[in-house]
Parts: sequence; structure tokens; C-alpha cells
Amino acid sequence: MAAANFFANMKISRKLVAVFLVTSVIAMGVNIFIYVNLNQALDKINTVFSSNISLNQLTDNLNEIHQGLTGYLETKGTDDLELYYASSQSMRLMMNDLNSNVTDNNVKLAERDIRNMIDTYLKTADEAVQAKRGRNIDEYTAKYNECTKIKDYLNTYIYSVNNEQFRTNSENYNALVNSLRYTEIMSMLIFLVASVMNILLLIILTNTITRPLTRLSAKAEEISHGNPEDVEPLEVFSDDEVGKVTRAFNGMLASIKDYIARIRTQLITQSEMKEKNLLMETHLKDAQLKYLQSQINPHFLFNTLNAGAQLAMMEGADRTVEYIRNMADFFRYNVKKNSETVKLSEEIELVDSYMYILNVRFAGEIVFEKDIDESLLDVTVPSMIIQPLVENSIKYGIKDLEPGEGKITLAVYREGDNCCIRVSDNGIGTDEDIIEKIMSNEKKPSETRGVGITNVMERLDLHYNNREVFEIKSKKNEGTHVTIKIPMEAGNV
Amino acid sequence: MAMKVSKNRIAVTILASIVLVLFFATVAGLFYYKEMINSLGRVQEEDFTEYGRLYAYIPEDPDSQLSTSIYKEISEYAAQNGCYVEMTGQNLSTRYSKADRLNIAISSKVDGIIVEGDDSAETVALIDKATANGIPVITVLTDCDSTRKSFVGLNNYSLGTEYGEELLDIALDKNMYPLKVLVLLDRDDGNADDFILSGIQESVANRRIILTTSVVDATSPFSAQEDVTNILDSLDENPDVIISLNDRTSESVYQCIVDKNLVGQVTVLGYFDSETILKAIDRGSVYATFAIEANVVAKQCVEALNEYYNSGFVSEYYSSKYLLINRDNISEYRVEDTDNGGG
Repeated sequence: MAAANFFANMKISRKLVAVFLVTSVIAMGVNIFIYVNLNQALDKINTVFSSNISLNQLTDNLNEIHQGLTGYLETKGTDDLELYYASSQSMRLMMNDLNSNVTDNNVKLAERDIRNMIDTYLKTADEAVQAKRGRNIDEYTAKYNECTKIKDYLNTYIYSVNNEQFRTNSENYNALVNSLRYTEIMSMLIFLVASVMNILLLIILTNTITRPLTRLSAKAEEISHGNPEDVEPLEVFSDDEVGKVTRAFNGMLASIKDYIARIRTQLITQSEMKEKNLLMETHLKDAQLKYLQSQINPHFLFNTLNAGAQLAMMEGADRTVEYIRNMADFFRYNVKKNSETVKLSEEIELVDSYMYILNVRFAGEIVFEKDIDESLLDVTVPSMIIQPLVENSIKYGIKDLEPGEGKITLAVYREGDNCCIRVSDNGIGTDEDIIEKIMSNEKKPSETRGVGITNVMERLDLHYNNREVFEIKSKKNEGTHVTIKIPMEAGNV
Repeated sequence: MAMKVSKNRIAVTILASIVLVLFFATVAGLFYYKEMINSLGRVQEEDFTEYGRLYAYIPEDPDSQLSTSIYKEISEYAAQNGCYVEMTGQNLSTRYSKADRLNIAISSKVDGIIVEGDDSAETVALIDKATANGIPVITVLTDCDSTRKSFVGLNNYSLGTEYGEELLDIALDKNMYPLKVLVLLDRDDGNADDFILSGIQESVANRRIILTTSVVDATSPFSAQEDVTNILDSLDENPDVIISLNDRTSESVYQCIVDKNLVGQVTVLGYFDSETILKAIDRGSVYATFAIEANVVAKQCVEALNEYYNSGFVSEYYSSKYLLINRDNISEYRVEDTDNGGG
């Protein structure tokens, strides 16, 4: 198992080298083994007939000895004697290779007989040579005759043994040749088995390499066709290059999924923001439209008012001038401030103008008080949020009070991180259910009532992301307090 | 996916197992192959046993069944006693005379010679030469007046007497008087036949049995048959009984009687227990035969030589009996023969 893991974690190049090395070594080993053994067999075949050859040499040598002996006995020639001695010497050496033991093997036994007969022959021949030197004709003739006889026996024996050996050798040769045929088949079988083994090894190797690649490509295709989020990561089985690629692929898949998720969240946020902006714009436009609708032509009115103010100035009617100017300021604000956010001071100025106009209209019946924290005047707020509240207080709060009793208070103060704008009246108060309806956005402002409290609320909601910045408190006959809490965030001040 | 992976694993495991099995098969195959190659040389080196001494057996006629039978017994008994006996001159391309075979045995320095003796001076000289070379010589079946150490023989005279007794029985059975008997003697059998013949003559003397003799040349494989046919053709009248004193002659006589359709008319007394003769006895074509106890003779030969080697002395004469085989005891004999391991 450890070996399998080790192999699985090897680099592909090393795997290839290892498997090719193993298969080559096996093939080479089998080759060498068969080659060496076949050579041994061939050597054996060669040695089969070597016994015949050595027996033939024996005969040749014996003939040489006899030739030398005959020559010497005939002529006492030195050459013959030399030949005799030389061949006798080599005969003695050759004799030693022959079997000397008594066995029940015919060939071996014949070898022993030949060996002993050669010995007898050599002894007799020596005696003949000695007799020749002693010039004892009878003796050396007799010895020579005996030698001739023994030589004849020897030739017969050698011939017969040769024949016998040739027969046995032929049998051996046939057996060897037959066996070689078997070994041929055997070696073929071994080769076949080794080849099959090598092929299987290669299949295993290629399988370990291509299988994960196939899985990888199938996965990649799956990703390209479908939703990558539904694709499961691949299992990693090895630590080789394919394993690393698979790991990288899994990492890539994970980051694709993560990226898609992030883009989705971003899209949702973006669309939400777009929706909110659109809504705000719509509301502002709506407010402005309604406001414009409520004027016939603010510019014309504004110019007319300016003309009225100049006329009043010429006539020395200062209060009229003041009135007309306030009116002009009021309308100018509406004409000028069509942007979304304004400074709190500007909002307060608008309320001042509005109150002046109203007080002229109602002959100073409405008491307007301000309690302003000067440090908060630069706080930016959505435009047109205070005037509608003041208008509402006048319309629904103090409308039914006796002249001079109605009182509107505008307070601007700091409360924690919030800039609070409170519009209070001392009017009849607002019913709880009406407040609830207003807060729960059910009470729709009527078209004729101008920019209503609901519009202000909705705009504040959009602007401050639905944070609860709007608050209405009221008690029966004790007036109504409407508070807007503007969060003082960076850039707000 | 997991299923696929496990399938793949199984496939790889199976393949790996096959590879492992094939690897072991290859290794085993290689070892088997090596064993096969090694066994090639073993054909050459046949198994053989070594022996302490080598004796030469030189019979008169190496091809006769008697010689073969005795040689077989001698070989077996010798092998049991640590010696090997070779039939000198056998398996050679040339056929050598007894003298040559003796000469070969002396030249090849055997440890002992068992020779079928004869009266020739050459044989005597060769036996003396062997003795001079320190080779003990034992004569078998036929003695030789030489320096041989011992003679393992049979009492030929008593064999002749037994033949005579058989003749008397035949004459009595057939009530055939006078009974004409032809005795076929062996040309090269030394004086053995003479002893047998005198035994026969002695036992049938004055019993109205007419004995005639002829000499058959049984030395060569083909001469016996021709000689026997010639002898029978040359006779004016067919004999009542034919006694042959040689194994080959016995078979030839039997064959001749069959060929001439004389079965029933001519009674045959044979020599040696060859399978042909035994079958003929079984059928009634041959009246009886005298067989040598080859195993006893063989044992005596080997023992004589071994004793000579062990003690330096050996008894001059070992005697052995002939066995009469006729239709009455042939079945018994065959059983005994099988028990003794053939021969």
C-alpha cells in the first residue's frame, strides 16, 4: 500500500522512467537468462561429439606409435624412434583421460579396457625396443607380433566404442535437439508472458496518468456547459503533476464560485441602490411638481413680487416692502433649491419667510419661536423638510385656536450624534390613530394640501436608509411635536 | 463519481494482481527453463555403478543360449558381491576367437578370467600367460589342463548315465527293441562329450540299444542347423532317439524333426533349458532335456575367484548337477525358474 502511494505520488516523468526501466529490465533479464542457458545447452551439444573426436585422436596416435615402432624395428631409424617416443608420450597423457574404474557402463568399461590395453601395448612395445637394442630378433619379433595383435584389438575396441558412443551421442544429440525445441517453445512462452506483463504495466501507468486527466477534462466541460456553482470539486488521489493540476483546478473552481457569489451580492446591492435613488428622485420631483403646480408661475410671481416691492418702496410702505421681500425669498427658495440637499440654515430661512408671510396674512396671530443651536446651521439636510412640518402644524394644530394663542416653536439641537429638528405647536394635538397611520405610511397626503408630512417622511426614509429619524408626539389639546433626527455622519456636517 | 473511482481502483488492482501473477509465472518459468536446460546434459551421463573388481567371462560360443544364461547369472551374482563380469569380445565390431578374447582379457588386465576350457595348446598357453600376469583363471563347464586355479564343472559322466537311463525308459515305454539311438556330439567341446558318451554307453550296455554318433559343428550360429539336416538326410533309416549334447544342436534337431514331420516317430533328448526346448517338451515334441543349474554354476565361478582373492587359495574343483526336465516336472521347473528370477 505504501509502495502504491509512493508510486502514485511520483512525478509522471519519473513514473514513466520507472515503468520503462522495470519493463526493460524484466525483458533484458529474461533475454539474458534465456541466452545464457541456451548457450550452455549449445556447449553441451558441442561436448557431445568431443568424446568421438578424442577417441579418433587415440587411434591416430596409436597408429603413429606403431608406425614408429615398426620403422625402428625394421631399420633402427632415429626418426622412427623419435616418432615412437613422442607419440608414446602423448599417448600416455591421453590415456589419463580415459576411465580406469570398473563400472557396469559398457562405454566406460571399454574405456578402461582400452586404457589397460594401451598400457600393455606400450609396455610390450618398450620391451620390443629394448630387445631390438639387444638385437634379440626372436624376442622383438614376438613382442612386435603381440603389439600388432594388441593394436588390432585396440583399433577394434576404439572403433566399437566410437560406434557405441556415436550411437549414444546421436541419441543425446537428438534428445538435445528435441529439448531445444521445447526450450524454444518455453522461451517463447516466457517472452509472451513477460510481454503481456509489460503491456499490463504500461496500461496501469497510462491509466494512472490519463484517468485523472479524463476526469479533469470532463469536469472542465461540465463547468463550461452548466453552472459552476453546481459542480463538485474533484477528488485528488496522487501528488504528481496531474494531482497538482487537479488541486489547482479545485482552487480555481472554488474562487469562481466565490467570485460569482460576490458579483451576485454586488448586483443586488447596486439594483437596490438604483431603486432607492429612483424613488427619491421621483419623490422630489413629485414634491417639486406639486409645489410648482401650486404656483402658477413662480418666476413670474417672483418678478411681479419684486416689482410690487419696488413700488411699495417708492411709496414708502416699508412693511409692504418687507412682506413682499419675504414672499419673494420664499418663492425664490422654491425656484432655486431644486437640488436634493441644503444647509440647515437655508431651511430655517425658508421657514422664517414662510412664517412672516403667514403672520402678515393672519396679522401676527401665530407666535413663532426659534431655539437654534448655531453650531448646527451647516448640517446638510434633505431640502423642503421643515417648511411642510410648520405648514402642517399651522393647518392642523393651531388653526382652530383663538388669534394670538397659536404658537409654533422650531428647535434645533444636538442629541448624541444626531442633529434634532423639532417643530412644536400648542394646538389641539393629533389623534393617536392618525399618528399611527402617518407613521405606518397609510395616510396619503391629499393633492390639495401641498407638500405633506408623508412626503417628508418618505424622503427622509429613502435618504437615511429607513432609519427611524422621524418622530411625532402629541397629546390632546397640548399640541404636537414633530422631531427629525438627522444623523451627523461624515460629510453631513 | 465515487462509484467510478472505486471501479477504476478495482480494475487497477486486478491488473496489478495479474502483473504480480505473471511476474511469478515468469520467474517460475525461468527456473523451469533452467532445469530443462540442465537436464539436457544428464542424458549423456547415464547412471552407472562402480565395482571393485573386473572378471572376464570367455565362453566357447558367446552367442549360445547356455553362455548367455550363465553370463547373466554370473553378472547378477558378481554384482551382488562387488564385482563386475564382462563377456570379453562382446559388443565389438569384430568377432574374435576364444584365444583372441583371452588375449584381450589379459591385455586389458582384468582381475580374473572365467573361461570355458578346451584341450587346445593355445588355450593352455594363454591360461598360463594369464597366470604369469597374475590373473587367476577359472575354467567352467569344460576343464583344461593348465595353470588354472579352479574348475567349476558338471559331472558329465553321470549326465551320460542319466541319458542312458532315459533311453532305457523310452525303450521300455515304446517296447522298441533294438532301439536305434543317434548321439550328436559337439565338435569343439573338449572332452565333455566323450565323458557323456561313455556314461551313456556304460548304462545301456547289453540292453539292445544301438548307439551311433555324429559330430555337429555348432561353433558358428548357422552351421548347427545345416549339419543336423545333413546328418539326418545322410541316414538310410531314421533313428528312434536322437540325443543332442549342445543347446543349439538341440533346437536344430527339434526343428528338423518338425520339418521332416517325424514328431512321434523320433524321440529327442535335448540339452539345456531354452524356451524353445521347454515349449517342445510341453508339446511332447522333445522327450526330455538336461539343464544346467546356471545360477549354481555362476555362483561357484564368482565365489571361486573371490575366494582366491580373499585367501590366495581356492578349491580345485566345484561340481554341479544337471537337472532332468520332462513333461512330468516341467510345470514345477517353470515355477521354480520364475522364482529364481528367470534363466
